[in-house]
Amino acid sequence: MKKIEAIIKPFKLDEVKNALTKIGVQGMTVTEVKGFGRQKGHTEVYRGAEYKIDFLPKVKMELITSEEMLTQVVETIERAAKTGKIGDGKIFISPVDEVIRIRTGERGKDAI
Amino acid sequence: MQFDPPITKDSGTSFKNSPVQTPVPASSPRDFFRQNSESMDSLIRKTFQKAQSQIPSPSVCLIAVGGYGRGELGPHSDIDLLLLYAASKKESLPPLVEKILYPLWDLGLDVSCSSRSIHECLKLAQSDLHIKTSLIDGRYLDGEYEFFRNLYRLFTKNVLHQKVKKLAESLADDLRLRYRKYEDPAYALEPNIKEGEGGLRDFQAGRWIIRAKYKTDRWDSILFPDHSRLLEKSVEFLWTVRNQLHLLSGRRQDDLTFEFQEKIAPILGFRPGPEGVEEMMRQYHLSTQRISNFAQDILDRVLHDPSPAKKALLFLQRRKIDDHFAIADGEIHLLDPVAFKRDPTQLMSLLAHCQKYQAKMDFRVEEAVMETLPFVDDLFRSSQKVNLAFFGILKKGKGVAPLLKKMHDLGLLSRYIPEFSEIAGRIHYDLYHVHPVDIHALLAVEELEKLKNGSYENEVPLLTSLAREVEQPEILLFATLLHDIGKSTNRDHSLAGAEMVKRIGARMGLSQEESERAAFLVSQHLLMVTTALRRDLNDEQVIFRFANEIRNLNQLKMLYLLTFADIKAVGGEAWTSWKNILLMDLFLKTSRFFERNTRAEPLVKGMDTMKQLQGSLSSEILSEYADCLPDRYLSCYSPEDIAHHIELARSLEKESLLVEWEIEKASQAKVTVCTRDRYGLFSRITGSMFLNRLNILEAQIHTWGNGVALDTFWVEDSTGEIERRLLQLRKDLKEILSGKIPIKDLLLKRKESNGIKQKIIPKVAREVKINNQDSDFFTIVEVTGENRLGILYEMTEALTDFGCDIHFARISTLGNRIVDVFYIQDEWGEKIAERNKVDQLRRTVSLRLVSGEHKES
Repeated sequence: MKKIEAIIKPFKLDEVKNALTKIGVQGMTVTEVKGFGRQKGHTEVYRGAEYKIDFLPKVKMELITSEEMLTQVVETIERAAKTGKIGDGKIFISPVDEVIRIRTGERGKDAI
Repeated sequence: MQFDPPITKDSGTSFKNSPVQTPVPASSPRDFFRQNSESMDSLIRKTFQKAQSQIPSPSVCLIAVGGYGRGELGPHSDIDLLLLYAASKKESLPPLVEKILYPLWDLGLDVSCSSRSIHECLKLAQSDLHIKTSLIDGRYLDGEYEFFRNLYRLFTKNVLHQKVKKLAESLADDLRLRYRKYEDPAYALEPNIKEGEGGLRDFQAGRWIIRAKYKTDRWDSILFPDHSRLLEKSVEFLWTVRNQLHLLSGRRQDDLTFEFQEKIAPILGFRPGPEGVEEMMRQYHLSTQRISNFAQDILDRVLHDPSPAKKALLFLQRRKIDDHFAIADGEIHLLDPVAFKRDPTQLMSLLAHCQKYQAKMDFRVEEAVMETLPFVDDLFRSSQKVNLAFFGILKKGKGVAPLLKKMHDLGLLSRYIPEFSEIAGRIHYDLYHVHPVDIHALLAVEELEKLKNGSYENEVPLLTSLAREVEQPEILLFATLLHDIGKSTNRDHSLAGAEMVKRIGARMGLSQEESERAAFLVSQHLLMVTTALRRDLNDEQVIFRFANEIRNLNQLKMLYLLTFADIKAVGGEAWTSWKNILLMDLFLKTSRFFERNTRAEPLVKGMDTMKQLQGSLSSEILSEYADCLPDRYLSCYSPEDIAHHIELARSLEKESLLVEWEIEKASQAKVTVCTRDRYGLFSRITGSMFLNRLNILEAQIHTWGNGVALDTFWVEDSTGEIERRLLQLRKDLKEILSGKIPIKDLLLKRKESNGIKQKIIPKVAREVKINNQDSDFFTIVEVTGENRLGILYEMTEALTDFGCDIHFARISTLGNRIVDVFYIQDEWGEKIAERNKVDQLRRTVSLRLVSGEHKES
């Protein structure tokens, strides 16, 4: 099992979510996050006053998937989240040792 | 041997822990209470008598206290007993208490029993709020009646009617603590029916104060009949819900969770499904609001009741405001008791005074207001005096939120704006909207006021300064108060609300412009947040369209402020700095758009063009292309041209390149090129034209949102062979774009064979301007120079070699002078903003502007 963390542009959330639902992904956790990478923050000026934006708003999605589904899921996120411009985000993939559904105690793939 | 039947739950208590549950008649919780208490009484008496017969015990008296004492016993309410004994006989009590409690506990009843002497009771009641209040509700059950009589004689005289103000203070503290505990938004969605705001505990608090202060058990006797009838209904509703909650959960559950909201609503006769739940919860919130107002009102009366000496002093300090009102100690008093009835418009004067003097209403004034409500009629609602005063209050902007809240609590707001009563208590059955719609609206107004007062200065400095500078603040407040008014309908609440606001505004004497502005804010109150969160703010088109909807800077400011207030008033964590960064980005980009307002006109024209297209294209095609045609493009072409372009674009599926022309004069033609956009496309087209000795007089290049490039060129040929050259152009372009022949090779060949010398003509000043101010999305490069064959190719190639993507260009030739404007972005889709990059770009383009000339001459 793998954990996929994707940092994407906020307005891409619906599109990515719909694309993932279409290929059968059943659940994910979404968080509003802020950060910066190559696309740095900036300072906005309005009527002479400066408003600093150090961190840019992004959406972080986390989902767990089986090895078989991994490629498809990652490709789907990549395709749907892409605008081709700076700040499109990143996808991180890491191994997951175990998944447990608290209510039933199911483990492994059944619990995803 | 004496027959000794085991103690069992008899018929009346059979509901408890039994599989067959007696349904509670939803209409009459009182009947249920009576039945329940009576059977509990007989069970407890039986137990008590049996215990007394089993062990030698001193004379005692058994008293029911708390809710059981009041006879308001819910299915699983706890049962509080008090065993009163003569001071000297203490040691023999514990065995008796055990004999009473154990059998009851064995039945699964939640019974507690304290044993005290009369003296202890009185002493404890003086120091302990809980003991005091539970004693207030005491009821004789069994044993020595004389003890009971003595206790209550002394309790009433020495405890209850003493220090009433202190009792009120303690209850007010308790109320504040409870409210704080339950102010978590989760409790607004799943309220605690007993302890929450306006819950049953609040009603008790009010009742206890009435007992203490007015020495009567008839709480309704000190209220207006209308008021007490509504209160009675509210409390009965809560009781009914609570009884169901206990029955269904099988325990003393007071949290009205979603699970039970869904189960109880149909039992109480509400519609099945979420609508029924919403209706039930609406009634619930209306009930708790009434109860909460009742408790606060009664507490206020006692807390602000001055001593007789102070009363005299205040009377002397009293300052007359006008013929009807006076002010003393921060409270407005009524001089003329029938002032409102004689002239109901005085109600609004009262509110204006409250604002002006930052004063509260004396409780008698509040009563008088409530009494006058039936006089708030159509005449009142359309009275110029009233409406001017109301908008005057909004315009002043000081203390508006508490004043509106007070108007609402007294029922005045709903009389003045009847539409508002339709959203009162209405809830959304979801997790996001925490408060009922009316409370949400009032909170939104409060948030705007807090913003203006600087409460969020560190968090949102920009919004704070906007709140202070916004024009027509009264219209903003008016729209904020009514932004969700359409939720009483089944239609899109923004649109329905806007229509209602227009009507309300007209009735309240707003000018048409003011009404329309308020209606605009209501109709668009979700646009800013959906645009900020769901659209690409780096897409110029998104900002254009948004700006087009918003129309001007002041409306943009108002909408940003309304959006803030709306989200903030949703409750909990709804407002985040994350959301604000996106909203601020949208605000700043759009405000800069308005500041360069010169470009607003062609855009409006673009929108008109879209409408005209509806005639010539099927709605299916139109909707496919509507979002990807840039306004800048729409403003450049006639609807017929655009319809034709869309046809061309649709045939791109079969052919990768379409080149069309119309020969206009013998030597001039308009050439349209349609293909998929790719890097360096413009440069390759201009190169191919150069190759075929076509001089470009004018050009418009556009990139559509769906990746189609649509370019129009006006070209000239001085050799009289335009048709042949255009045919050759089409052929060359096809080969160049398919990558078969690199254009540079062709151009080299071409140059070698070019022996024609250019004519000597007056020099034109060369200039390359790089402008980063006029667009948030593109760097604008303006090139002025001398026209010559191939110059456009030189320019576009220079830009392309520099790594720029040309998004839009406008090329014109004035005599021998060219004025070329390019909208470019770097490979990341960003502007070229770094100073050294800008300088480098300027040098590169300038060099080509000069060097090309040298090559030619």
